[in-house]
Amino acid sequence: MSAPPAYETFTVGGLALRRDPAREPCYRVARGHADVYLEAPSALHEEAARASIHRNVNNELLSLEVAAQTLVDFPDTPWELRLELARQCWDETRHVRLLFARLLAMGGKKGEFPIINHEWNVTCALDSMAARLAVQNRTFEGGSLDLLKQVIDFWAQRGDHETAEVMEVILADEINHVRFGNVWLRRLIKDDPRNLLRVANAMGFLRQIGKVLETKPGELVIDGQDLAGMHPQIAGQSTERAEAGFTVTEVAEILRKEEALRDRGEVEHRA
Amino acid sequence: MSLSVKDRGAWVATYRYIHVTLMEMLARWVPTTPEMEVKLVFGSHIWYLAQHADALGKRTHELRLALQHSIPPVKEYLGFLDELGRVTETPKRIAGMYDVMLPALGVRLRSYLERTDQLMDAPTVRIVERILDEDQRMIREGRGLREELPAVGSVDGTWVRRLAATESTVSDPVAPVAAVASAVREAS
Repeated sequence: MSAPPAYETFTVGGLALRRDPAREPCYRVARGHADVYLEAPSALHEEAARASIHRNVNNELLSLEVAAQTLVDFPDTPWELRLELARQCWDETRHVRLLFARLLAMGGKKGEFPIINHEWNVTCALDSMAARLAVQNRTFEGGSLDLLKQVIDFWAQRGDHETAEVMEVILADEINHVRFGNVWLRRLIKDDPRNLLRVANAMGFLRQIGKVLETKPGELVIDGQDLAGMHPQIAGQSTERAEAGFTVTEVAEILRKEEALRDRGEVEHRA
Repeated sequence: MSLSVKDRGAWVATYRYIHVTLMEMLARWVPTTPEMEVKLVFGSHIWYLAQHADALGKRTHELRLALQHSIPPVKEYLGFLDELGRVTETPKRIAGMYDVMLPALGVRLRSYLERTDQLMDAPTVRIVERILDEDQRMIREGRGLREELPAVGSVDGTWVRRLAATESTVSDPVAPVAAVASAVREAS
């Protein structure tokens, strides 16, 4: 596949991103995190919980859409990899159903909060299978392995064991998605070394778009704390990462980067 | 006259092609359909169709063709698939897939079961029986969307009947063996 045609893209900071997937009219699509997060979540306990699950529902929906669009965009991919993507589609539908049921149980509804579609906008702008796997499966979903471990604890500590259980199920599935991403990425690079360059370019693109979209000073202040330049404190999960096919060296590198951020005081301490 | 191994291979490879096309169709519809509930049904059916294509693709190898071999159907049937794939409105997508496409596919699969030898072609028979069973589940889930979301239930009956008529004008989607052999030669 070549780059998506212009009518399917829009430009942010000079970078072409894929246009949003279709959503019902009840949703408002935001571009920046400042539009999505509540001003004072600790003061609005229940609303913050619903906002979090509402965000998760949309993120899982995006994962479904990315996997589906990747099936469409790369019809010449080896059949075994297409089969993995098709299975991922099914998994993500189950995640949406599970999370949406939790949202309804909490009194929430579709479109109650703004949504943000960055994962789709960025991943589906990439024009090679290797780049998509590197960004979506290995980076975005790989990152969720670290996050989900903390999320499970968060819901359990709140006494919401049903939501904690849902998150545990999602974590198990995500490990599989990251694992097949890792396996196939290595295979694609071995078969065609140019894929390594494609992955490097994609990661560069991801860093660029991260800079463009990052929260600016004063844009997002939660409970009196300016979150510009802050990174969530997410502990790298070596067990889950290893299960998902990251090598010992790669896991060590993730933990080293996390340590460096902590030393520089650039982590955000959030309950 | 009973079907030959070559006939069976051509049939299986053609229906693999159809299943891969349907999988891709739903994959294309997922991001372009606004309603969440509909995305979820299409999304889960991508996996069903992929498994069906995979089972048929393993069978092609057993029938002396390449593993996961596909043969395009006759051009009239390709035209029908193309017409269905170009549908954009959600009610039409639901009706097209679950009132026309899958029921018609079921008729064709059952017709194959009647024509083939149940013992000589037992592995294909098992695969087709499983597909038929899961197609029923897909049809049920697809039509169930109309109860869940009444707004997607309203569709022009004339359009549905015309689409069904287009499908039924193709007596057999499988291209004659000679035409297939020629297409394979050209491709290689």
